[in-house]
Amino acid sequence: MLSAVDLDRRNQWLRGILDLCVLALLARDESYGYELGQALERAGLGAIQGGTLYPVLLRLQRTGCVTTRWQEGDGGPARKYYRITDAGRDCLARDGEDWLGFAASVAKLLDEGGGP
Amino acid sequence: MNAEPWLALLAGELRRQGLADPQVATVVADVRAHLRDSAEDPYRAFGAPERYAAAVAESLRGPASHARPVGPVRLQADGITKRYGRRQVLRDVNLTVRAGQIAAVVGANGCGKSTLLNICAGLISPDAGTVTVHGTLSHSPQDGGTAPYLLPDEHFALVGAGKGLTRDRSRTAGRARAGELGWQDVGATLAGQLSGGTRQKLNLVMSTLTEPDVLLLDEPYQGFDRGAYVNLWQQLWRLRDDGKAIVVVTHMLNELDQVDIVLDLTEANS
Amino acid sequence: MKRLLTVAEMTLRELARRRGVIALLLLLPLAFYLIRRDQYIGQSIRSLFIGIGWAVSTAALFSTIGARSIEPRLRLAGYRAHDLYLGRLVGLWTLGVLLAAPFLLLVSLDTTGLRYGAISLAMLCCVVIAAPLGMLVGYLLPREMEGTLLLLTAVALQMIIDPATTIAKVTPFWSSREIGTYAVDNMGTDYLVRGSVHGIAATLVMLALVAVVSSARLRRRPHLRQV
Repeated sequence: MLSAVDLDRRNQWLRGILDLCVLALLARDESYGYELGQALERAGLGAIQGGTLYPVLLRLQRTGCVTTRWQEGDGGPARKYYRITDAGRDCLARDGEDWLGFAASVAKLLDEGGGP
Repeated sequence: MNAEPWLALLAGELRRQGLADPQVATVVADVRAHLRDSAEDPYRAFGAPERYAAAVAESLRGPASHARPVGPVRLQADGITKRYGRRQVLRDVNLTVRAGQIAAVVGANGCGKSTLLNICAGLISPDAGTVTVHGTLSHSPQDGGTAPYLLPDEHFALVGAGKGLTRDRSRTAGRARAGELGWQDVGATLAGQLSGGTRQKLNLVMSTLTEPDVLLLDEPYQGFDRGAYVNLWQQLWRLRDDGKAIVVVTHMLNELDQVDIVLDLTEANS
Repeated sequence: MKRLLTVAEMTLRELARRRGVIALLLLLPLAFYLIRRDQYIGQSIRSLFIGIGWAVSTAALFSTIGARSIEPRLRLAGYRAHDLYLGRLVGLWTLGVLLAAPFLLLVSLDTTGLRYGAISLAMLCCVVIAAPLGMLVGYLLPREMEGTLLLLTAVALQMIIDPATTIAKVTPFWSSREIGTYAVDNMGTDYLVRGSVHGIAATLVMLALVAVVSSARLRRRPHLRQV
């Protein structure tokens, strides 16, 4: 269970990166909100609340990185499925690479500073 | 877990944030579907309805200065300097606001925010500096600017007559704008007996009734509850989209990412 | 013209709603009249005139102070300075005439053999001079307590000063004393003429001062250019 301080810091990290993580998941296959949340948690990002995830999805939709469609559930209620667009793939490639470079620099800095 | 009450609150908050009904329906449907899948308590998953609605609205709106066409300069203040006795209140302050922009003037108490606005409105003279206004101007003072023994309708009539409007037109226009601020029942209460928040709404309606090109608003949200505060910003953004230039003195900093210019007088004066 | 009349109307409406103020404004002149009533009628009537002058100038004071906040924004909304001060004056004069009318009736019922035309003229003088006087005090001393005290002092002085002295001629309501003397003491027309001339002069001076002070307060400042 994360402490309040850890949670706060993690939320700050998520603000910078959650959209790219979502795009990365969608790059493999289309998905719906709840499933994305589960996948992110399994990937090690911690529990992502709906209140955090959905605004990100809305923003990705607004900037044209994803499209959506409603699909009738099999014997259940309808769900909104998100699919990555070409623009989204470009964004993921470009900004994802930027992030990886940035993260590598951070890792090096922490390492030299006698980090983990 | 019955999520319907929470969803109903969310719908209300989304509408208050200015979302159109189809959009509201979509957002609510998304949330409902998610809650069905996750079987979570909506407060845990999404937080308070007003917070989530604000987050959604922000996501949909995008950052403030995105590709909105700004027009010509409407207010230009250059080198405004003002001293009261030994106290230097304003030192060489500059502010340029174009049509379609909102400028927020912030700073600690007593750092001259109201003074700057009063100078721009032409109510007091600075020691140095000029102000040029392209178009018409209105000023909403901090102390209300109302006549305590007149009815709201009479205020509308007074202001409207300045522009040559008939009584009926002034009254209709005034009541319509009052409704936009959430003041539905403009009754027969004297201005001096209105609650602080309602009197401030009267103040605001008087400022916007003449449809000026530049609006100077001095802490316009005094006495507002949260709902009225949200309504106010909706109105201000709508006015901005209509091409008005707006200057707001505020010490509430929540909306600073939704305005175009922030003038911090505590820095400007140091 | 419409703007001026709108301001006049609203001035009247505002004051008419201040019931307590209206009641006092009717009672004080009445008190002035009655206190001296058992003595010589002339004193009574001259006191009544001063009372009316005081009442109207105090109403003008309250009206002006109450409007401090709203006048600058009306200026921005398209009103000229003269719309505002002339409009207020017209409203106050109307109120003054409405206040004086019952007193004229009272005097005509309560007395006989006086020159009632001249009495009306004296009351009119008081009303016409009192309104701009009260406005002026309201501009210069923008607090109701201080302004009321100043007006009370002025009124007291007006009553105490011997009307024959030179300094009395500088007081605002001296005209009403002279016309009153003509009306009650059956004096010659020289009192009427002196009083009327003073009345006109005092009115013009008051109007000019109100125009100057009001225009200065609401003036277009040189640092602000509107294009």
